[in-house]
Amino acid sequence: MSAPTAARAPRAAAPQPRRPSLLADLRRVTRHQLFWPVAALVVLVLACGVYSPGFLDVTIKDDHLFGQPIDILRQSVTPLLLGLGMCLVIATGGIDLSVGAVMAISLAVSLTYIDATGPGTGTALVAVAIGLVTALLIGAFNGFLVTALGIQPFIATMILMVAGRGIAMLVTEGQITTTASPAFKSIGSGFVLGVPTPVVIGAVVFVLVTVLVRRTALGMLVESIGINREASRLAGVRARGLEWSVYAICGLLAGLAGLVYGAPTMAADANNIGLMKELDAIMVVVLGGTRLDGGKFSLAGVVVGSLLLTTIERAVIIFHIPSQVTPLFKALVLIIVCLAASERLRKAVTGAVGRLVPARPQEAS
Amino acid sequence: MTTLLTPLSTASQWGARLRDPRYLPVTGTLVALLLILVVGQLRYSEKRSFLSMKLFSNLLVDNSYLLVLAVGMTFVIITGGIDLSVGAVVALVGLTTAKLLIGGFPLWAVLAIGVLVGAAFGTLIGVMVQYFDVQPFIASLAAMFLARGLCNVVSVESLGIKHEGFAALAAWKLKFGEGRESWSINLSMLIAFAVLVVAFVILHHTRFGRTVYGLGSGAGGNAVALMGLRAASTRVWVYVISGTCAGISGILFALYTKSGFNLTGIGMELDAIAAVVIGGALLTGGGGFVLGSATGVLVYGLLQVVIAREGLQSWWTKVLIGVVLLGFVLLQRTLSARRSRAT
Amino acid sequence: MNDQQGLGPSPVVEMRGITIEFPGVKALDGVDLTLRAGEVHALMGENGAGKSTLIKILTGVYQHSAGTVRVAGKDVHFGSTADSQAAGISTVYQEVNLCANLSVAENIMLGNEVRRGPFIDWAATRRAAREHLARLGLDLDPRSSLDSHSLAVQQLCAIARGMVVRPRVLILDEPTSSLDKAEVAELFRVVRALRDEGVAILFVSHFLDQVYEISDRMTILRNGQLVSEHRTSELSRLDLVQAMVGRAGEILADVSERAARVAAAEHDRTSPVLTAQGLGRPGSAAPFDLDLFKGEIVGVAGLLGSGRTELARLLFGADKPAEGTLSVQGDTRSPTPLVSLRRGVVYSSEDRKKEGIIGDLTVRENIALALQAGRGPLRRIPAKELDEVVERYLAALQIRPANPDALVRNLSGGNQQKVLLARWLATQPKVLILDEPTRGIDVGAKAEIQKLVTELADQGLSVMFISSELEEVVRISERILVLRDRHVAGEIHNGPDVTVDSVLETIAGRAS
Repeated sequence: MSAPTAARAPRAAAPQPRRPSLLADLRRVTRHQLFWPVAALVVLVLACGVYSPGFLDVTIKDDHLFGQPIDILRQSVTPLLLGLGMCLVIATGGIDLSVGAVMAISLAVSLTYIDATGPGTGTALVAVAIGLVTALLIGAFNGFLVTALGIQPFIATMILMVAGRGIAMLVTEGQITTTASPAFKSIGSGFVLGVPTPVVIGAVVFVLVTVLVRRTALGMLVESIGINREASRLAGVRARGLEWSVYAICGLLAGLAGLVYGAPTMAADANNIGLMKELDAIMVVVLGGTRLDGGKFSLAGVVVGSLLLTTIERAVIIFHIPSQVTPLFKALVLIIVCLAASERLRKAVTGAVGRLVPARPQEAS
Repeated sequence: MTTLLTPLSTASQWGARLRDPRYLPVTGTLVALLLILVVGQLRYSEKRSFLSMKLFSNLLVDNSYLLVLAVGMTFVIITGGIDLSVGAVVALVGLTTAKLLIGGFPLWAVLAIGVLVGAAFGTLIGVMVQYFDVQPFIASLAAMFLARGLCNVVSVESLGIKHEGFAALAAWKLKFGEGRESWSINLSMLIAFAVLVVAFVILHHTRFGRTVYGLGSGAGGNAVALMGLRAASTRVWVYVISGTCAGISGILFALYTKSGFNLTGIGMELDAIAAVVIGGALLTGGGGFVLGSATGVLVYGLLQVVIAREGLQSWWTKVLIGVVLLGFVLLQRTLSARRSRAT
Repeated sequence: MNDQQGLGPSPVVEMRGITIEFPGVKALDGVDLTLRAGEVHALMGENGAGKSTLIKILTGVYQHSAGTVRVAGKDVHFGSTADSQAAGISTVYQEVNLCANLSVAENIMLGNEVRRGPFIDWAATRRAAREHLARLGLDLDPRSSLDSHSLAVQQLCAIARGMVVRPRVLILDEPTSSLDKAEVAELFRVVRALRDEGVAILFVSHFLDQVYEISDRMTILRNGQLVSEHRTSELSRLDLVQAMVGRAGEILADVSERAARVAAAEHDRTSPVLTAQGLGRPGSAAPFDLDLFKGEIVGVAGLLGSGRTELARLLFGADKPAEGTLSVQGDTRSPTPLVSLRRGVVYSSEDRKKEGIIGDLTVRENIALALQAGRGPLRRIPAKELDEVVERYLAALQIRPANPDALVRNLSGGNQQKVLLARWLATQPKVLILDEPTRGIDVGAKAEIQKLVTELADQGLSVMFISSELEEVVRISERILVLRDRHVAGEIHNGPDVTVDSVLETIAGRAS
C-alpha cells in the first residue's frame, strides 16, 4: 500500500523521455494510495446511477438539499467522525475499541441533561458541552491506561467497550430516554444554508482536525512514533503526551459522533447507539489507506473510506440485494484490502510481475 | 513416617503453587470467585442456602456454551493472538443447524457440519495470520463479518428447531435430589466438561500444547522455531481449535435456545475474551490456563446471578464486568512490572 | 595453513573451501575450519568477517555454494537445521533463545521429551532434565519457570538443551555477552567439563580475555576469508588483533591533514563542554570519567562489544546512567534524549535502520524531526524556515537525490547517514556523538563524512567519533579513547608517532 507513494515523487521529478508523459501521469495517479478507494467509490456511484436513474439527482426543497447523494453524505458523517479519531490512534500503533460505547455514553449524558432541564436552546448548548466533555474524559482515561499504565491498547479500550454501554444505561437508568429539544435535534436533522447540519459538522471537524495535525507538528510526530518508536525516542520525541492526546481526541470525536447520530431520534438507546461502530471506524481507516500497524496516515483517506462504506450500504439497497448481506460485502472488502497489504502476497505478485516489467529503480536501494 | 508427611507436603506444595508468579493471576480469580460465593452465601441464604449444587448446575446450564468458547479463546490468547469471529460463528452454526434440520438432514451429519463450519472459519483465520501476516485482530474481524453476512444469507428470521432427536438431546439430563433442592446435569454441561478436559490434557500434557505456550513467549514465536518445534503449523492449529470450539459452542447454544437466530452472539466474543482475561491469561501471550478461564466463566456467570439477586438491572453486569476486567488487567500489569524489575 | 594437523586429536568437523554468495556479495570465500574432539576452538573476526555465516552453514541455515563439509569423516550437506542436529551438531545462540514463560524442564527437553503415547511423561521428563542439569553441575528445580532464573542460568539451560541430544559438536555463539564475571566463570567450568568429555566446542566471542582463557585453538576470519588457524598458546594478542582488523598495510592517507589538525588544536582546555564523572551502568559500561572540549574530535576505539556504543548511549541519555554525574556546561540534569537534545548533545546511533531513520517519512521530515522535537509538537517549524534548513543541508552534505520529498528508506545507506547527520546538525548542537557513521557506506561517502566531521570541529563543535575502522579514528581524532571489556582502557594523544598498530596494542592490552 505504501510502495505507490514511494514511487511517486522521484518519477514526477524525472519523467522518462521515451515514454509518453500521459502514460506516466496515469501511472502516477494509479499509484496514489487513494486511487483504488476513489475508483471503487466512483464506479459504485455510477453503477447505482445507471441502475437506478435519479440516484444522482439532487433537488432543492424549501431551500434544503435532498437526494440520494445528500443522504450518503449525511450518513457518512458518523463513520467519518469516528474514523478521524481512530485514524490518529491507529497511526501511533494503537487501537480504540471503545468508540461505539462512547457514542452511547455522550448521547445518554446529553439527553438526560436535557430531559432534566428543559428544551431551551441554552440547555441544548450546555448539553452538547457536557456530552463532549464526558467523551473527552473517557478518551483521556483510555489514554491514561495506555500511556501511563502501559496496558495494551486493545485490552485497555476493551474495558470501556464492555462497561461503556452499562454506564450509559446507568445514566439513562435503563430507560430509552426520549426528550424534545428542537435546538439539539437540529444537530442531527437541521440544515445550514441548505446543507444538512451533520454534513457541515463533518466538514468543519475534518478541516479542524486536519489543521490541528498538519499545521502543527502533531501529525508528523505521531507518524514517526508509529513508524519507529525507538528512533523517535532517540530523536527527542516524547511519545507519552502525544499518545495521550490522541486517545483524548478520539474520545471527543466519538462523543460528537454519538450526538450527531442520536440527535434526529432524540432517543438515548444505550444498547444500540453505536453498536459495532468501532469496527466500521477501523474499516474506514483501513479502506482509506492507513495501515493498521501504524505510521503514515491519511485523513482524506478516512473521508473516502467513510463515503465508500456508506455507498456500499446504500448500493445494497439500490440493487435490491437483501440488506442483511452487507456484512458479507464488508468482509470481502476487508479481506481484499488486507491481503493486498500483505507483504508476502505483494512479494509473490511483484515477483511474478517483475519478470515481465523491469524493476522499479526507486526500490533498488 | 513418609505416609504421614505426604498430605502435609502436598498441601504446602499447593500453597507454594498459588503464590508462584505464574499462577498468581489465577489465584486472584479464585479469590474473586470465593469472595462472591461467600458474599452470596451471607446475603442470599434466607430461605435456603445460596451455595448449593443447584446454583452450580444452573450456572453451567446457562454458561456451558461460553465455557467452550473461552477454552478455545484461551489457546489463541496464549499465543498472543485474538479471535473476534467466535460470536458470529456461534450464530452461523446455530442457523446452519436449524436450517439443515428443517431441511431433513440426519442429526449426526448436521452436528458434524456445525462443528466443521467452525473449524473452517478457524482455518481461514489461521492461514491469514500465519501465511499472509495479517494481524489476528483484522483477520478474525474479517471472518466475523463473513460469518455475519453468511448468517443473513441463511436466514434473517429466527428458525425454531422442532427436530425430535435434537429436542431429545436438549432435554436429556441426569436428575439429582428432590423438590426445590433438585439439580441436574445436562448434555451441554457434559460436552463443555469434556472439551475442558481435552483442552487441559492437550495444553499441559502434549508437545503441541507446550509449543502453544512457547509461541506466546515473544519475538513472534522465534524461540520456538529455533528450538526445532513446529511454530507455523501450531499457530494455524490454534485458530482451528478456537474455530472448532466456536462450532461446538454454536451447537450448545442452539441446544440451549432450541433455535437459530442471525443476531445471536453479538458481543459474545467479548464475553469470552473477558472471561479468559479474568481467568488470568495475559493478552500479550505466554500465560493462561484453561482451568483459569473456566473459573473466569464461573465468575462471569456468578456476577450475573448476584446482580439478579440484588434486583439490579441487567446493565450493571456490563459495568461490573468492566470493573472486574480493569482490576485484573491492573493486577497483571503490576505482576509483570514486578517480574521485569526482578530480572 | 594447518601446520598442527596430525598433532591434535582427530578432527570431528572439517570444512574445506567453503564459499557462499549472497546477491552482490561473496560472504565467504574458500574458508576452512577444523574442529577436533575434546578441544575448544575459537572463531575470531570483526563484524562482517563471516563468522555467523560460517556458523549458519554448519547449522544448516544456509547452504554453501562451493566447498565440502565432513563430519566424523563423512561428507555431508545440510539442507536444514534438522539435518545438522541429526549429525550431532548443537547450537546455543547469543540471545537466550528459549521460552522464558516455560519451565526449566520444558526448555531443556521440549522436542526430546519423554513420552507415553502422545502424552508427555512429566515425571520422567523432569528427571531427565535434572540429570542433564546435573551433568553441568546445576541443581535447579525443573518445575521452576525459566524467567525466575538469572540470564547466566538461562544460558546454561540453553547449553543443557544443546547437550540433550549428546552432540559431537557444540557451537556457542557469543554465549557470554550478557553475563557478568562470576557467571562467565561458571559457564567456562561447564565448557571445560564438556570438552573433557570429548565434545568439540566452537566458541565465538569478542572478549579477548575469555577467548584466551578458554580456547585451545582459533581460526581467524576477515572479510569473508580465512586469515589463519593457530594454537591459542602460540598467538600473541597483538598478532590476533592485527589479524582480525587487518594490518594497516597501506600508508595512511592524509597524515598531513591530521598533523595539521592536531597542531592547530590549541583548544581552550579550561572549561569542558561536557564532563562525565564516574558515569556508568552495570552490564553496559563501567564507570568512566571524560572531559570533552570545544572543537575537538575524540575518537573511540575498541573491538565490537567493548562498550563503545554503551558509553555513547549513557552520555546521550539513551540509556539511563545508574551512577555518576554528567554535566553539560554546568547543566547537571540527568540525561534523557530530549534533555540532551535541548542542551546541545546529540547522538547518531550505529543502527541506522532501527534507531536512526524513520523510513516511511520524507527526507524533509527526517531532517526536521529532532529540531521539531526540541520545540515541542505544537510549535511547528515554519515551512519557509524548514525549507531553508533542508535546502542548506541537502546542498552542504550533497545528499542524493536532492529531493526533500523522497522517502528516506529509498535512499542509499550513505545518503541516509547524511540525512541523519543533517537531522542532528540542524539542531545546532555543541556535542555530536557519532556511532559508526561510516559503516556500510561506500568509500566516497566515507571520505565525505570524515571531511565533514573535521570541518565541523573546526567550527567549534565537539565530536565524539566511534568507529571500528581504526584508520579513520587515527586519521581524524586528536585524542583516542580506547575501550576494552567495557572499561576505558586508555587514552592516546594523537600525534605523528601514533599509528593503527600502536592503537591496536592498547586495544589488545597485556601485549605479549
